[in-house]
Amino acid sequence: MTEGGKQPVVEARGFRKRYGAQRAVDGLDLTIHAGEIFGLIGPDGAGKSSFMKAVAGVLQFDGGSLSVFGTAIDSDAAAESIKDRIGLMPQGLGQNLYPDLSIEENVDFFARLRLVPQAEAEARKERLFAITRLGKFRARPMKQLSGGMKQKLGLVCTLIHAPLLIVLDEPTTGVDPVSRRDFWAILAELLQETGATALVSTAYLDEASRFDRVLLLHEGRALAAGEPSSLSAAQSGTVLTLHDLQSDEALQLARQFGYLEPRGRDWRLFLAGLNAEAAQAAITTLLGRTVQTRASEPELEDAFIALVGAPPAAPPVVVAQAHGAEPVIEARHLTRRFGDFVAVDDANFRVLPGEVFGLLGANGAGKTTAIKMLNGILPPSSGEGWVAGADMKRAGRAIKARIGYMSQAFSLYTDLTAIENIQLYASIYGLSRQQARERARWIVDMAGLAGFEDALAASLPMGLRQRLALGCALVHSPRVLFLDEPTSGVDPLGRRRFWDILFRLAREEGVAVLVTTHYMSEAERCDKLALMFAGRVVAEGTPASLKQALAARRGKLLALEVEAPRQALVQLQSAGVDASLHGRRLHCFVADPAAEAPRLCQLLASAGLAARALGELPASMEDVFVALMTELEAT
Amino acid sequence: MNLQRITAYAYKEWREIARDRLFFSLAFVVPPLLMLLFGVGLSLDVEHIPFVVIDQDHSQYSRDYAARYSSGPYFNLLGQLDHPDRLDTLMASGTVRAALIIPAGFGARLAAGKPTEVQTLIDGTFPSRALTTKGYLDAINAQANLDGLAKLLAQRSGLTEDAARQRLTPVKLAVRYRYNEAVLSLWSIVPKLLMVILMISPPFLTSIGVVREKESGAIFNLYASNLSRGEYLLGKLAPYVAISFLNAWVLWLMALWVFGVPFRGSLAFFALASGVYVLCTTGIGLLVSIATRSQVAAMIVTAIVTVVPAVLYSGVLIPVPSLGPTGQLIAHALPAMYYTEIAVGCFLKGSGMADLWPQLLVLAGYAAALFTAGFLLMSKRPKV
Repeated sequence: MTEGGKQPVVEARGFRKRYGAQRAVDGLDLTIHAGEIFGLIGPDGAGKSSFMKAVAGVLQFDGGSLSVFGTAIDSDAAAESIKDRIGLMPQGLGQNLYPDLSIEENVDFFARLRLVPQAEAEARKERLFAITRLGKFRARPMKQLSGGMKQKLGLVCTLIHAPLLIVLDEPTTGVDPVSRRDFWAILAELLQETGATALVSTAYLDEASRFDRVLLLHEGRALAAGEPSSLSAAQSGTVLTLHDLQSDEALQLARQFGYLEPRGRDWRLFLAGLNAEAAQAAITTLLGRTVQTRASEPELEDAFIALVGAPPAAPPVVVAQAHGAEPVIEARHLTRRFGDFVAVDDANFRVLPGEVFGLLGANGAGKTTAIKMLNGILPPSSGEGWVAGADMKRAGRAIKARIGYMSQAFSLYTDLTAIENIQLYASIYGLSRQQARERARWIVDMAGLAGFEDALAASLPMGLRQRLALGCALVHSPRVLFLDEPTSGVDPLGRRRFWDILFRLAREEGVAVLVTTHYMSEAERCDKLALMFAGRVVAEGTPASLKQALAARRGKLLALEVEAPRQALVQLQSAGVDASLHGRRLHCFVADPAAEAPRLCQLLASAGLAARALGELPASMEDVFVALMTELEAT
Repeated sequence: MNLQRITAYAYKEWREIARDRLFFSLAFVVPPLLMLLFGVGLSLDVEHIPFVVIDQDHSQYSRDYAARYSSGPYFNLLGQLDHPDRLDTLMASGTVRAALIIPAGFGARLAAGKPTEVQTLIDGTFPSRALTTKGYLDAINAQANLDGLAKLLAQRSGLTEDAARQRLTPVKLAVRYRYNEAVLSLWSIVPKLLMVILMISPPFLTSIGVVREKESGAIFNLYASNLSRGEYLLGKLAPYVAISFLNAWVLWLMALWVFGVPFRGSLAFFALASGVYVLCTTGIGLLVSIATRSQVAAMIVTAIVTVVPAVLYSGVLIPVPSLGPTGQLIAHALPAMYYTEIAVGCFLKGSGMADLWPQLLVLAGYAAALFTAGFLLMSKRPKV
């Protein structure tokens, strides 16, 4: 994308920003060239927002240099001089939009604010509405839009004055995978049309492939930068998925390789510096037998964790124990109506003790409502929710002592210290002083809070705060645990630790865990999954069985690397191929990848598009999710 | 200054106010409602005081004496008690606020020309009401004494009772109340209520309106665009100033029609002064919004910086000259007092520009200072 001698759009050297004593960004160097999509990837608090706001000229910074369009942003006047060429979409889904105005009124406001001539504004608005498919909802007030629609409206409002640089701060956080994929496709199309440059941030590592170049940001410093494929490739190694491990074998592997990730009944192991054969050989040597394995390329998350240089955590000594076959969470024809709106529609699923059960679905699919009914917070309109042997409709307060609940918002008291939070929850649940002390010790140990006991909850890093919230939900040793998007915005290491705790609770203590998440990599870890759509459970099963069902329905995945992905996509789709754009690659559903690969390459070559088949790709949970949702939305 | 950007912002703001139910009521329902509640509830006139008589004498004298109290509008005679036992309960519950205990032998002592005492009990929980009640009792008792004296003089001197009464009170005060001829507390309070409500409502609207944009992130539309600070202030605040100015007229009409207060001054001057005052109080809201980051904080700070001065240091309850030296200093440093003088002057005294221009000048200076401070303190590229 770069042309020799051409001026970069954004150039930062030693960029620093601090808030009081806290360093948000600590010496960042980066260059963004014209026409590229540059991704800033990192967890909450990594410093992404601070940098992006400074680029947009809406935040002062403390040190280093920053120039945008060749103008050094060193004064308010300098910042002002570039704002007509910049579009900023701040963090938070549609938070900068006006809830009481309609879609069209929001767009018109931004057009007038940006002094776009009326005829030009009208033409651009219609074009943007066409691409985002918002046109038919134009009279709808913004507050009634779904998350995905708010996000698209935010994009339209940001682009209405045709900025040369657009700055999008976490546009996909809290949005379901289908809307996310849709968003990236729209963004790519619009950028190609206008030739604008984009600086985009995300907390989802698996979105890296959407960008031309990325920078991994962690605690205000750059971990690595470059093209997304080079980042994960730089971390050479192999990921093995292992089946049928004995627990002593798992223990052995974990001791040897530092970390072994439980995925349902399978295990995932990253072996740095080894190719597939060497990795499999190493396993066979260690265990003294041949284990059934599947090898795949490392993901960016593996690279991230390796780059952070995480101290090898204590191996999760997870020994599966038998915990009975009677379900402890059961939804039977669970239904909830709000007026005419059916939030949960005849939902059925069951969770066994010791099982980690994932509830997936787009925003507004009914996940939270279902959890609230099972918790006894919300009475169902019809149907039953059974938890720990009690009908939640009739269950008294006593049953709540057997349930733990952790909400998205981490219901902690931020002005209390960690230990005070634990004590507070202990007294709410009526634990004796002795029990409370023992439990607090257990939670501090479990959550890795040692040394932070007397720190205010507000001052704890995200990951710790989240584990503290989990600890508070576990203070009364519940048999059933409900978690509603517990890991939003937490860094990969933090999420990994969190899930290790969940697995320990489930496997060792037999706790039944029901969790909702937007991270598909977390969905892969669950024993069982239920997918919700428009209030209904539309698919249920283990991750493996859901993937098999996808293969039976749509075929297997063939990955193609192409030079002009958008044109190639159009070409394939017009030839009737079930293809989708995935960053710079195309994913095609075909019956037999090996046989179809030459044919598809041929097809593209005849249209003058160079393509290379990358072979069969194991379907991910995201593929399953997106495929199901798009099929359902089409009907 | 670009007019299109200003009108775009003002138009957007207006639509939000009109559609948000909470905001709409804050803008259009709360001010008249406050006027009604305060106007009806804050009357300081003390009349129809619930009152009992314990007549232990049962003579013609005692009956005549007691009857004097219930004849006027001041006391509402609830009845006679035979014994003072129940009085404690009645007074404690607030059913009775004053009582007369006429002792046995009252009539006989008077007939014999001996002085006698009537025990008077007054609920002293509200000092001003208690003092007013005592004033009424004093006046009625004095009249009774005068009548008795006049009767005696008439008997001795052969004058008529009226002539005797005139001899006994050779000098009389001829009092004429000006401006508020009937000394109705409502006439005095209602113009000041305009001041109080216009001191509270615009800052609330403004501070919440600005801070909710900060809270949501919509403020970034200002920061990230070429909308200048001046344009933002004009576009964002114009609807609030306009609504508050409209409210000034609504309250004015209520004062005239609902509360029957006369308006004797210059309407043009009052309109001008009200406009400047509303601008001034909107400026207070602007400063609060710059200093706070959440709507809750904005509301609390606004309540403190507006309600306290509007009620305590403005002359609503206590005339400013009656405040202590510190209180007077505070009153003079805040805009409320000046608008109180303007409102009272325009409604009751028939004043206009000629009398009240200094007050108007102070308010204008205040508004200019607040907006200048707001403009300077605002940043499109803040540190956090």
